[in-house]
Amino acid sequence: MQPIPEVVVLACTQAVPQPAALRQALQQVGLSGRIIQEPCSSKVESFHLLRILAQGADLVWVVGCPEQYCQLAEGSTRMGFRVAHAQDYLTELGLEAERLGYSRVAAGNPEDLAATVAEIQQRLRKLPPNPARPRQTV
Amino acid sequence: MIVGQRKSLQELQAMLSGYKKILLAGCDTCVAESACGGRRETAELAAALKLAFQMANQDVELQETSVDRQCIQEFLVDVVAAAQGYDAVLSLACGAGVQALVARLATIPVFPALNTMFLGETAERGVWLENCRGCGDCQLGYTGGICPISRCAKRLLNGPCGGASNGLCEINMARVYDPPVPCAWEQICHRLQDLGELERLYSVKPSMDWSKAGAGGPRRVVRPDQRL
Repeated sequence: MQPIPEVVVLACTQAVPQPAALRQALQQVGLSGRIIQEPCSSKVESFHLLRILAQGADLVWVVGCPEQYCQLAEGSTRMGFRVAHAQDYLTELGLEAERLGYSRVAAGNPEDLAATVAEIQQRLRKLPPNPARPRQTV
Repeated sequence: MIVGQRKSLQELQAMLSGYKKILLAGCDTCVAESACGGRRETAELAAALKLAFQMANQDVELQETSVDRQCIQEFLVDVVAAAQGYDAVLSLACGAGVQALVARLATIPVFPALNTMFLGETAERGVWLENCRGCGDCQLGYTGGICPISRCAKRLLNGPCGGASNGLCEINMARVYDPPVPCAWEQICHRLQDLGELERLYSVKPSMDWSKAGAGGPRRVVRPDQRL
């Protein structure tokens, strides 16, 4: 039996006002996901993303607002930079940079959320299990 | 401010090979400003090394700590205390901070996580420029506040070499610099012209006394009034 892919989603509360709905949407396509709410996607630091991967997640995803709607003006833009910075570490380590990703969702917009779930599902299909998973959790 | 750059994960992993409990010690002043050794970067490096060790199936315990300045005894004591019980310390301070820690940890090896680069200015977010070599004989008062020692590739003291093109130093022809390196002497001339002090350049400067720049051995500054 294949291990269930594990995705951790760090989501801005404005972009994803109902995290339970996102979790259900992930479950409906057969994914076990954990949703962590953030006051803004810019609250997510590069080291958070790396730490979550080190804990064994196969994929870490950040959801922010479209740049023009970010309440903190440039928070969503910064989030993109931080994901890219963490991806540089993965490349240096020889891990797939695609284990980190982000999308921008307009205040709970159902189409945007559905597109995010589809993208997460597609990424996880392509990725092998996280080779940096701690031994005891394999 | 001291500017550094992180060593590659591959080099760090090789240096730390064999140690099972490692303390990462950040330094939250200069190298935090140059985004390579502060709390945030210490957390990033710890997480990245954890991933690296796990990928290599190595059980290594990593812990993080950070102090304001590793080059000051009063701040450093916290790292010394935290390091007890660890096999090794990986310091994210500049070379001065690493050595200050080494002097206080007789039996625990200390490794540098950074390559210390230069004394510089944050020109813009993510761009640091070398503006001072600590030569011990500051010329800024004669050159309109623009340093020919650190900013002229040839360290000339009496005007430009003649190789500049469109305001840029000729070293830009050798490889791509981002941002391009301007001709420091063109900048000096323009600056002194703007200040109406171009005549400062009419007197010839004698050769530098490089013994003050470190050629005379390790340098010391001793202030009796501060030693009390």
